[in-house]
Amino acid sequence: MKAGQSYIFRAVGAVLFFLINVFAIYLLLRGHNLPGGGFIGGLGSALSLIMLSLAFGVERTQGILRTDPVRVAGAGLLLALLTSLLPLLAGDPFLRHYHVVLPVLGKIEVGTPLLFDVGVFLVVVGVTAKLIFVLARPNADLTALAPEEWRNYAAPLEEPIEKTARSESPAPEDDVP
Amino acid sequence: MMWETAILIGLLFGAACFLILQASFVRILFGFILLSNAANLFVLAMSGRPDGKSAPIVGVAGAAPVDPLPQALILTAIVIGFGVIAYLVILLYRTFLDQRTASARELFDPARERPEEEQA
Amino acid sequence: MNPATLMILPVALPLVTAVVALMGRRPAAWRRWFTGGSALLQVVVAFALASTAWHGGPQVLAIGGWAAPYGIVLVGDLLAGIMLVLGAVTALASLLYGFAELPVGDEHPLRLPLVQFLVTGINLAFCTADLFNLFVAFEVMLISSYALLTLEADDWDIKQAFPYMALNLVGSTLFLVAAGLAYGLFGSLNFAAIAERSTALAGTPQLTVLALLLFTVFGMKAGLFPLFYWLPNSYPILPSPVAALYAGMLTKVGVYVLLRIFGQVLPPDLPLIHTLMMWLAAATMIFGVLGAVSRNFIRGILSFHILSQIGYMVLAIGLFTPYAIAAAIFYIIHHIIVKSTLFMVGGVVVVLNRSDDLTKTGRLWAVAPVLGVVFLLQALSLAGVPPLSGFWGKYMIVVEGLRQREWVLVGCALLAGVLTMFSMLKIWNGPFWHPEAAGGVHLADARWKPMTAVAGGMTLLSLGIGFGAEFFLRVAHEAARQVLDRGAYVTLLLGGGN
Repeated sequence: MKAGQSYIFRAVGAVLFFLINVFAIYLLLRGHNLPGGGFIGGLGSALSLIMLSLAFGVERTQGILRTDPVRVAGAGLLLALLTSLLPLLAGDPFLRHYHVVLPVLGKIEVGTPLLFDVGVFLVVVGVTAKLIFVLARPNADLTALAPEEWRNYAAPLEEPIEKTARSESPAPEDDVP
Repeated sequence: MMWETAILIGLLFGAACFLILQASFVRILFGFILLSNAANLFVLAMSGRPDGKSAPIVGVAGAAPVDPLPQALILTAIVIGFGVIAYLVILLYRTFLDQRTASARELFDPARERPEEEQA
Repeated sequence: MNPATLMILPVALPLVTAVVALMGRRPAAWRRWFTGGSALLQVVVAFALASTAWHGGPQVLAIGGWAAPYGIVLVGDLLAGIMLVLGAVTALASLLYGFAELPVGDEHPLRLPLVQFLVTGINLAFCTADLFNLFVAFEVMLISSYALLTLEADDWDIKQAFPYMALNLVGSTLFLVAAGLAYGLFGSLNFAAIAERSTALAGTPQLTVLALLLFTVFGMKAGLFPLFYWLPNSYPILPSPVAALYAGMLTKVGVYVLLRIFGQVLPPDLPLIHTLMMWLAAATMIFGVLGAVSRNFIRGILSFHILSQIGYMVLAIGLFTPYAIAAAIFYIIHHIIVKSTLFMVGGVVVVLNRSDDLTKTGRLWAVAPVLGVVFLLQALSLAGVPPLSGFWGKYMIVVEGLRQREWVLVGCALLAGVLTMFSMLKIWNGPFWHPEAAGGVHLADARWKPMTAVAGGMTLLSLGIGFGAEFFLRVAHEAARQVLDRGAYVTLLLGGGN
């Protein structure tokens, strides 16, 4: 995906990015008893990343994320898992949840399901962002990563997709009638 | 509603089978997308006749709610289907790049020869 | 801690391991130590669970404290315990074998996490007592298996992943439909609730449709006759450590679920399904072994053999007496160990001869007799030569078949045994007996010694199963008794439980 040509899109996109994420977090937080939750919030947040990559190009969006999205997903999975394993310490069954009422801003009920949902949120953002980054890559003018280079990536599809670009042959689209 | 749903599910399954049996990768892909939607709709239909019932949301007053469990099941199934379809897209894309064809018939043509290794 | 609470560990341990290994950016020695340690711990946990089920009966864990039939429950009976032990042992062996095959730096960074995700799905499928949760377990397993299949495949082989994925996708969709149908019929997806309510429906067309759907789905996953062609071309493209795990476990998950669903959950009087099962099993045996005879590379032959062996287990399930079910369980125990060892031997041959084409390999009996002995023991065991582990399972199946006067089926089973011997001789004549090796023999490649050591360890296990058959038969009979005791199962899950 090339960086967007439209100046307006880029200007608006930078602002919308934050608005979309605020809404995504709102969806995440209200999800315990109302429609919403980690999955749908994560999709919203991933949409903001898609918009950024449309406006600024995939490379810059990856730069903004600073880390491999797979690790974001991994962190989310770890968080969700640890939350669900926590009851084992107290001798309770897997996935048992606990609630506390915090006397902040009136009374807010906070429970371990929220932590679990934050984990789901991160998994969805990470996986979707990874998908977009992999699929959005141009395949014509890419050089393959050197073997000692791709080993440093924990990403499944970075290497194979560009494999054809490594050889001298013309871009694959030209071959296919 | 049940008859309409049944006919719709049948149509979706039929269209999905037709598309999956085509040679083109894109049609196969769309076939699988339709197939998973047909199955989800089937499970949704198991929550019973929806006429005159309310959505199963806490605090919404009104008539008896529909059975929420099938909805929870297809939510899970949709997420799983999303992941699998994403994987299928990438597999087909990579097959297209590696094998230089977008036709399953050509891909599995026994006359196709494995290209010689460069270093051999 | 309460033993029932521990039941989550076979699922949670590999999942945690997978995530931690995924977070490690590059393949490093610590990841191997961590994953290996976790695999060892999984073996210990699995043994603990199996012994609890053996001494104290089945254990029930209600996830989140929600009891059946509303919550999802995990049930650890003896059969699940046996499968968990076998899965953990095979996973550990294939990990060690993989560590021996590749230096740390050459390992694909995603292989370890994906294998652990695969083990998570397999273990969840063994433990769960809920049809939809079983669907989720299958999907976790299948998605990891798709990814592992294409992870290290080259540009040409990648196309073999396509039929594998397409057929399994159709299977998953049918599974979802079957789960929906079961919910519509019984109003619950819990195994015990289905078992309790389905007896009233015995003989009705609805139940037959559901049973046929479930049989199609799990028969496909097990590799039964008309729908097996996803397997034999896709397994050879896997790297050999992963192939050993796949060959040992994946199709057996299908057999296990067939056993669980038709032995315990659906009512026992489904004559149509049982007849269908037996005849398809016979066809699987014959076509599988004929496919093996037709191939001329080691992993191709072995992949077809998986199918033919699946035929024996499903035949035993189809005969459907307590004795036959025990035979099927014993056969699964024997088969998982033997089959993954044979794939390991195939991998060692590739290391030594740089090929697994029968015409290009040779001389291994002269230079590496230990490998030859390992192969010979396991091949004879697979064919069913008396004191070895394969004999007892086949013997019990044949005895039960004769008792039920199924002469043709017994004939098929014996014929498949002879042809198995023939195709194993084909492998023996290639890499071990052939006087010339086109690719040379690379004895200097030191990797083959630790690899053979792992395969040798598995061979010892299989010898132990053969010579200690009495103990394993007792275990198999007890497991079969627990599976077939539907009343106790329903009381355990629905009558208060834990």
